[in-house]
Amino acid sequence: MNMSDFALIVPEIFVLTMASVILVIDAFLHSDRREIFYLLALTTLFGAIILTWVNHFDGRALGFNGTFVVDTMADVLKFVIYLVTAAIFVYSRQYLKARDLFKSEFYILGLFAVLGMMILISAHSMLTVYLGLELMSLSLYSMVAFNRNNVLSSEAAMKYFVLGGFASGVLLYGMSLVYGVSGTLDLAGVSEYLAAQQSFSAPILLGMVFIIVALAFKLGAVPFHMWVPDIYHGSSSVVTAFISTSAKLAVFGFSMRLLIEGMGIMQDSWRDILIILSVLSLLIGNIVAIAQTNIKRMLAYSTISHVGFILLGFIAANPEGYSAAMFYTVTYAITGAAAFGIVILLSREGFEADNIDDYKGLNYRNSWYAFLMLLVMFSMAGVPPMVGFYAKLLVLKAVIGQGMYWLAIVAVLLSVVGAFYYLRVIKVMYFDGAEDRNKIIVGSGVHAVLSSNALLALLLGLFPGTLISLCLTAIS
Amino acid sequence: MTFQYGLFMFFAALVVYGAVCVITLRNPVHAVLHLVLTFFASAGLWMLLEAEFLAIILVLVYVGAVMVLFLFVVMMLDINVSETREGFVSYVPVGFLIGLVLLLQIRIVVGSEFFGLDQYPLPVPRPADYSNTAELGYLIYTVYVYPFEIAAVILLVAIIAAISLTMRRRPESRKQMPDKQVKVKADERLKLIKMDAVVSVDKKDQGDDV
Amino acid sequence: MVALSDYLILGAILFCLSIAGIFLNRKNIIVLLMSLELLLLSANMNFIAFSHFLGDITGQIFVFFILTVAAAEAAIGLAILVVLFRNKRTINVEQIDTMRG
Repeated sequence: MNMSDFALIVPEIFVLTMASVILVIDAFLHSDRREIFYLLALTTLFGAIILTWVNHFDGRALGFNGTFVVDTMADVLKFVIYLVTAAIFVYSRQYLKARDLFKSEFYILGLFAVLGMMILISAHSMLTVYLGLELMSLSLYSMVAFNRNNVLSSEAAMKYFVLGGFASGVLLYGMSLVYGVSGTLDLAGVSEYLAAQQSFSAPILLGMVFIIVALAFKLGAVPFHMWVPDIYHGSSSVVTAFISTSAKLAVFGFSMRLLIEGMGIMQDSWRDILIILSVLSLLIGNIVAIAQTNIKRMLAYSTISHVGFILLGFIAANPEGYSAAMFYTVTYAITGAAAFGIVILLSREGFEADNIDDYKGLNYRNSWYAFLMLLVMFSMAGVPPMVGFYAKLLVLKAVIGQGMYWLAIVAVLLSVVGAFYYLRVIKVMYFDGAEDRNKIIVGSGVHAVLSSNALLALLLGLFPGTLISLCLTAIS
Repeated sequence: MTFQYGLFMFFAALVVYGAVCVITLRNPVHAVLHLVLTFFASAGLWMLLEAEFLAIILVLVYVGAVMVLFLFVVMMLDINVSETREGFVSYVPVGFLIGLVLLLQIRIVVGSEFFGLDQYPLPVPRPADYSNTAELGYLIYTVYVYPFEIAAVILLVAIIAAISLTMRRRPESRKQMPDKQVKVKADERLKLIKMDAVVSVDKKDQGDDV
Repeated sequence: MVALSDYLILGAILFCLSIAGIFLNRKNIIVLLMSLELLLLSANMNFIAFSHFLGDITGQIFVFFILTVAAAEAAIGLAILVVLFRNKRTINVEQIDTMRG
């Protein structure tokens, strides 16, 4: 450890310092001046964007005796996390105010969750992977429970906590076996140990299985998905948005570090497990979503099916596949933020716009937001020229490149089935009469952020080249 | 059978007994107390494994603070025991079957085939002046300083979350405001009102009715 | 003599008991939380046993951090439990089933 190590973690230090500063200011400030915490939280995220940008360099550096790593993948993922989180913070303001939840703790916990994600993405030892994951998860559990007078939220928080704690326990048990056999916690060390083996012994395989189970839990892949719909439904829409976008990016980083960097050599052993997880996720996600009447539950099952696609990228098990998975995750996070942004926007005091029927005739109430929702739904369904199309295309190309044609065919067929429920939302918005005649009141800031967020899904679809090459450099 | 092996068997039996009681007992308070027993016995095993610092931490911090927190919460929430036990019996066969199958599978992997004395011989015992605490402390403050800082943040998050989730400002609670009490003037304390000592008739009638 | 496998089997027994506990006590959250503590204990047991037999102290370092996190986790878990209890007046998971679909 020396001073240059600290230079590597400047963004982390900044986020931590600002979160603590907000905490201290909170103690001295009167409660009707809460606007300042919101502004400070946004400042923190923009500061982190600038610091990560300035700190970025090509290549890779280890710090703190190999427990911390910074590379292009980490920087790109962090960058998207800041942007998506900032957008969600902007959407959250009106929503939280209407529910008397506009408190500094919400933003402080949000910033700590972001810090946990940063640590997780930059982890290079099983120890820091675990600590980052826990910092993120503990903040998220309490954010779900934050709406504490709401029965649904506290139920969702309890379910999330128990299943998340279970996943962490299984992860630790798997890590203990990997540590015992390889004798090191360092991911590079584990990888070196594995490379030296002719065949993999039963203990390390068992450890790998436990680690994959934990990953599947955190990703929400079938059959470890049972928490996803309930948590998406029960949490307030702001927290749901946060969990399904920023946290998904962090869990992607977690999978890359542990599964690919640590145990990438064992790809022949884990590929079959991932194929099962992926096919089941595509199947359950796309088919069960059709039966949903609640849009948050529908988006939850849609997330499960997207996880199936992300796993396809891992199954290809080459840099092309990993970068396709990364592109998919990044674009999903952006479109997901826009989708939840609209759900948040249409909610008002004492009313959650979470039934699909609430979107009836949205076109007549406000055609611009109906158009944005249309873009987002098309992107999620994978209709060209939206970015979701390119994401699916890249993943499928990677899978076909490995000669797994049947897998690609299954994925395409199931996503065609899945297109049905996205189109249903569009049908409801454009061809049904409006039941809810309340005016949609939107601040100009929210309007600008939401519009640019949704248009980004179109823009990235028209010009995907930059992001694709960025993902390729990030992985190689 | 050596003395060490006897100690191991004793503590291991206690750990398993405690764990079985935790998951099967009716009364949550008893379950917490058996969890404490499990932790004590584990601390004994960790002593055998020359992890003295962690053994003591387990007893002092874990049993002393975390388990007491559990006890507080269990006793504070007035739990209806019979309600939570409905259907317990019908789960027993399935639960234990799952546990047993899992155990047999893991047993194959962690048995003496891979982790016996041949593969992992007994390490040389540490000398008497070896300090486990000093070595751990040295590593935590040098090599593992980054994880150590993260752990501090996690504890901070736990404090913030626990307070923001459970603290309630009770409307009926009264507190002192010294600054206002000092500034108070005599005419704010007492007000003299002049009024007629007459009681209206219909009001009196109503009073009789009640 | 006590071999590494003996400790690992004990860890495996703890692991399976805690999984069984999660299945058995699906209705009783407080015992669910205790089963999670057992799960962490089983991982800790493995780490310390490996650390001893490998002659490598990093396993103990990991356990140190697991204990710290577990304390934080218990605090947050119990806080959520208290919030839930105030809302529902029950810790019976069966009744905690407002969401379906």
